[in-house]
Amino acid sequence: MEKIDFENSKYYENRELSWIKFDRRVLDEARDKNIPLLERLKFLSITSSNLDEFYMVRVASLKDMVNADYRKKDIAGMNATEQLAAINEATRELTKCQYSTFTNSLVPLLKQNKINLINEYEKLSAEQIEFVDNYFMDNVYPVLTPMAVDASRPFPLIRNKTLNIAALLKSNKEKENTMFATVQVPGGLNRLVTIPNEDGDEKTFILLEQIIERNLDKLFSNYEILCAYPYRVMRNADFTIDEDEASDLLLEIQNKLKLRQWGEAIRLEVENKIDDRLLGILRRELKLDNEEIFKIPGPIDLTVLSKLFDLKGYDNLRYEKYIPQQVPQINQDKNIFANIRDGDILIHHPYQSFQPVVDFIRQAAADPKVLAIKQTLYRVSGNSPIIRYLAQAAENGKQVTVLVELKARFDEEHNIVWAKKLERSGCHVIYGLVGLKTHSKIALVVRREEEGIRRYVHLGTGNYNDSTAKVYTDCGIFTCKESIGEDATAVFNMLSGYSEPLSWNELVLAPYWLRDKFLYLIKREINNVKNGLEGRIIAKMNSLCDKEIIKTLYMASAAGVKIDLVVRGICCLKVGIPGVSENITVRSIVGNFLEHSRIFYFFNGGEEDIFLGSADWMPRNLDRRVEIVFPVIDSKLKERVKHILDIELEDNVKARVLTFEGQYLKINRRGKKPINSQMIFCKEAKELVKKDSLSVGRVFIPTE
Amino acid sequence: MHSLDIHTFAAIYIGSYEVSLNIYEISYKKRIKKIDNIRYHIELGKEAFSKKRLGYEAVEELCSKLSEFSKIIQGYKTDAYEIYASAVLREVTNATFVLNQIFLRTGFSIKVINNSEHRFISYKSVAGRAGFDRIIKGSAAVVDIGGSGTQVTLFRDGELVTTQHIGLGTMKIRTLLDNRGNTYSSYCKQVEEYIVKKLETFTSLYECEVENIVIMGDYAPEVIRKVDKNNREDKVVKTEKFVKYISKIQKKTVEEISKELNLANESDPFVLPAILLFKNLALSVKSKEVYVPGVNINDGIAYNYAEKNKLVKDTHDFDKDILSTAKELSKRYNSYSPHIDALCKLSVKIFDTMKKNHGLGKRERLLLQVAAILHDCGKYISLANSPQCAYYIVMSSEIMGLSHLERKIVALAILYNTYQLNEFEYLSQKLDHDAYLVVAKLSAILRVANALDQSHKQKFSNIKISIKGRELIIKLESFEDISLEQTLFDDKTEYFENVFSLKPILKEKRVYLE
Repeated sequence: MEKIDFENSKYYENRELSWIKFDRRVLDEARDKNIPLLERLKFLSITSSNLDEFYMVRVASLKDMVNADYRKKDIAGMNATEQLAAINEATRELTKCQYSTFTNSLVPLLKQNKINLINEYEKLSAEQIEFVDNYFMDNVYPVLTPMAVDASRPFPLIRNKTLNIAALLKSNKEKENTMFATVQVPGGLNRLVTIPNEDGDEKTFILLEQIIERNLDKLFSNYEILCAYPYRVMRNADFTIDEDEASDLLLEIQNKLKLRQWGEAIRLEVENKIDDRLLGILRRELKLDNEEIFKIPGPIDLTVLSKLFDLKGYDNLRYEKYIPQQVPQINQDKNIFANIRDGDILIHHPYQSFQPVVDFIRQAAADPKVLAIKQTLYRVSGNSPIIRYLAQAAENGKQVTVLVELKARFDEEHNIVWAKKLERSGCHVIYGLVGLKTHSKIALVVRREEEGIRRYVHLGTGNYNDSTAKVYTDCGIFTCKESIGEDATAVFNMLSGYSEPLSWNELVLAPYWLRDKFLYLIKREINNVKNGLEGRIIAKMNSLCDKEIIKTLYMASAAGVKIDLVVRGICCLKVGIPGVSENITVRSIVGNFLEHSRIFYFFNGGEEDIFLGSADWMPRNLDRRVEIVFPVIDSKLKERVKHILDIELEDNVKARVLTFEGQYLKINRRGKKPINSQMIFCKEAKELVKKDSLSVGRVFIPTE
Repeated sequence: MHSLDIHTFAAIYIGSYEVSLNIYEISYKKRIKKIDNIRYHIELGKEAFSKKRLGYEAVEELCSKLSEFSKIIQGYKTDAYEIYASAVLREVTNATFVLNQIFLRTGFSIKVINNSEHRFISYKSVAGRAGFDRIIKGSAAVVDIGGSGTQVTLFRDGELVTTQHIGLGTMKIRTLLDNRGNTYSSYCKQVEEYIVKKLETFTSLYECEVENIVIMGDYAPEVIRKVDKNNREDKVVKTEKFVKYISKIQKKTVEEISKELNLANESDPFVLPAILLFKNLALSVKSKEVYVPGVNINDGIAYNYAEKNKLVKDTHDFDKDILSTAKELSKRYNSYSPHIDALCKLSVKIFDTMKKNHGLGKRERLLLQVAAILHDCGKYISLANSPQCAYYIVMSSEIMGLSHLERKIVALAILYNTYQLNEFEYLSQKLDHDAYLVVAKLSAILRVANALDQSHKQKFSNIKISIKGRELIIKLESFEDISLEQTLFDDKTEYFENVFSLKPILKEKRVYLE
């Protein structure tokens, strides 16, 4: 038989194109008639914000490569120019689909449900016009800064991602040429403006830019408005911080934030009916090529739709709100530490509440036995209770060490504020590591008990963020196992700049050990198959694009290891290639909650190994980040994690399976019972609590 | 709240290329449990060994790390801490100022330990472990490889035979042979040749063949983990396998070796000297098995502290090591004899009777024994100048477990066993006031004991010693004529009277055999 070159680039998919497929799957949710209308609107809004981030980071970085004349090919054998061309085509397709969904399905459906969204001021009634014009003068006019361009006034800076209106003006007095003017739609004002309508039952909204457009003449008196159209510029935002040079990382990032808005323009969105002269000026001044210009058949920037989601009333147009359930293993009568001492605790978010994690820090902050709290923070919520309790702990004289990752994308500004807050209250704050992003999620509480020091550890797959924990599916484990406690201490010593420990007990860390560990685990399955045992891998993650891992998975598949992957987003692995990946399946679950947990299962000849962690199988996670992957040791917890994987592999409602042709298709149920994994987990979490509350008899307990 | 029988202790060690802080919980039940281990890489030795001083930057960095350590120590609410420094601060000329700077900035007073103290503490870290006595039961060599030197300690039948310091340290070797404009392969060759030569001298002087070799030092755990994948602590591997592995990797570049051993430093300059030392030490003692205990000096500091404060049960008798080293030394100079044993017993008997009169403790009792064992070894070199020679022999011998001061006390006690005690002013350069008193008291006791066996024939039995008023009464039974002893006794006791204000009286009961 011919020897197969597993590294052949034709066996790999380009990650950007795979990402666009993911965004398309999200868009499919917006097109799904079985989903409540406002939920569909939310999904559409998500596709739009996803695409924005994709452009600012990925496309920008490809443009950088082209500019730098970087010729290296990607995993699928494409150079940057080829990738940009393919992305451009795919994005146009996606955008087309976004707006046809919006215009043809969602807007009419909204109207049916008595929600009117007016995108053209020309359609307003006389009464509405009066309201709008008054609204403009009272609320909008004072905050506008119109800017005209002429010989003495150069073309102004158009800020990244802001919505603007461009206009062509003609002076009423002089017989001059036309003049270009632009005005930013103020970001501080609500873009959706409620306006009165004839029928009291209905709700009518108009977009702010339409109000401004209608009243533009008030900004430029003495000029005639020839035409006016909204537009939006996207700029390069993915800066790489030069960490070798920056003596003070913090300062450097603050500088970069100011610089970000000055980045090169990489995409221009304009209304599709825009005047050619106007477009020509924008194109010239922003130095854009034709393929970077997107003519949009509808309102620019659909993220505005997320505002509609929170509309009061209309509960019938949304899913019933799910309330994360209590964790039955945690007895509220005891403190969290006593609960952990009773055995490891697994929490599956958002089906189960994030509260125990907050309680962990809250109780530690006030517990006189606690000596120290150490935690890594990547992205936290705006008014994070965890930050508050960490600060409290420091004020209570505990040693609090917090590693704040400033390099968390788009969160820098936000992170610096609360990092400073922690520092003021006496916490030892480490502002990230030079050259590495700290992506691991670990919290350690050191407690001095009668039997000596005991360490309580929380390890998770998701960030310590109480708001995203309501939406992201993640797993977390509480333990006070000595082996893990020792490792956790070593992790924080390492993060504080001390030498690595001589060996690890249980935890596996990137960037130094994790890649080798995964490769070892995959190869172990290959060996088992060679020795006549069964070989089986189930892995769930957000993205899979590491070439070495994929190659090893191909080798495993070729050797006969059965591999099932649940990959929500990017997947550069191709399935069903004869001799290469026939034993691999890939499915993606896009549901109401964002799939976020990373679970790795290895059959290991019957001695199953299950790991959870913060790392995807991406080069950045394995090589350029501090990640922690940890084993599930307790056999009961192992069963529960396995159950999660089993149900997800059975999902036939929200799962889409990757085909040989590279498409993600929904499963044909053929009369089978529908299985929606996320719904099942919701139901199970509720049942667990119910069962638990039933088992407790209601009796009065006399004091002794 | 914190239960009383757990003691939290912090040990800091300032080494040649690392400062480390370990936190321990010490209790009778769990013995010594390490709960945190913090290491920071800082190459103090490089500067210290080449320039003989520590510069501003190094002191600055050291102080900043020590302040961090101080915070960690407070965080654990430790009951006590000790900070030791070795060669780095011993060999620099500006040590006094550096130590003062550290004290002013961090509040830490650092104990600079000399080589033998260092080796002893290091040795304690291993010997303090349960199971150590099993390893040395047959014969063993314990080698401790540091930055500036290597200590080799030999055991036979479970007893310490000798301990020798060899000037072969990882950092010393590298500083000596590095930068000579050689190719890498010839550098490797030179390092190995140098090590082999140095070790030859040692093996030719001592009977070195042993069953086990215990290797302490950096990189040893990494090597052993590679040799034996499943190596858990307290396991041995075959020397053959160990040597074969090192022979294989020593041909690689430093980068490759560092990667192979998974070292934090991608190009660790000390790894090559270290592994070559491991290999050649194992070869030169012809051991069958290699044992690498995963311990470091901080463990020894903790053990030392726990032992001193009686926080743990002893598993190994370190006093026995000291006595057996002394005996071996005595044998080496052909001076070990029944007389020595008799003298030893007698001195101790006098010492024990006089507890209230001399105010000395258990440790001085041990020093007295050592002095008694070694008091005669000078005769090997010169009969006329025996005391002087004995003094020098003791001063240049390493006795595992004795500090340099203690060694000096022993040597001087031997000297003044014969010579007249000098005035304190004369000795004040060498000794402080307390040590001077110890020397005087020990030599006085030794002299009296010696007077009782002047003929070296052990003529007495049933010796009873008691104190009555201002007299030390020594009652003895004798089979033989003891007129010699009687005559010389008064002569020798005057000194004793001076020191203790007690007059030794010899009372004899002649036993006639029927």
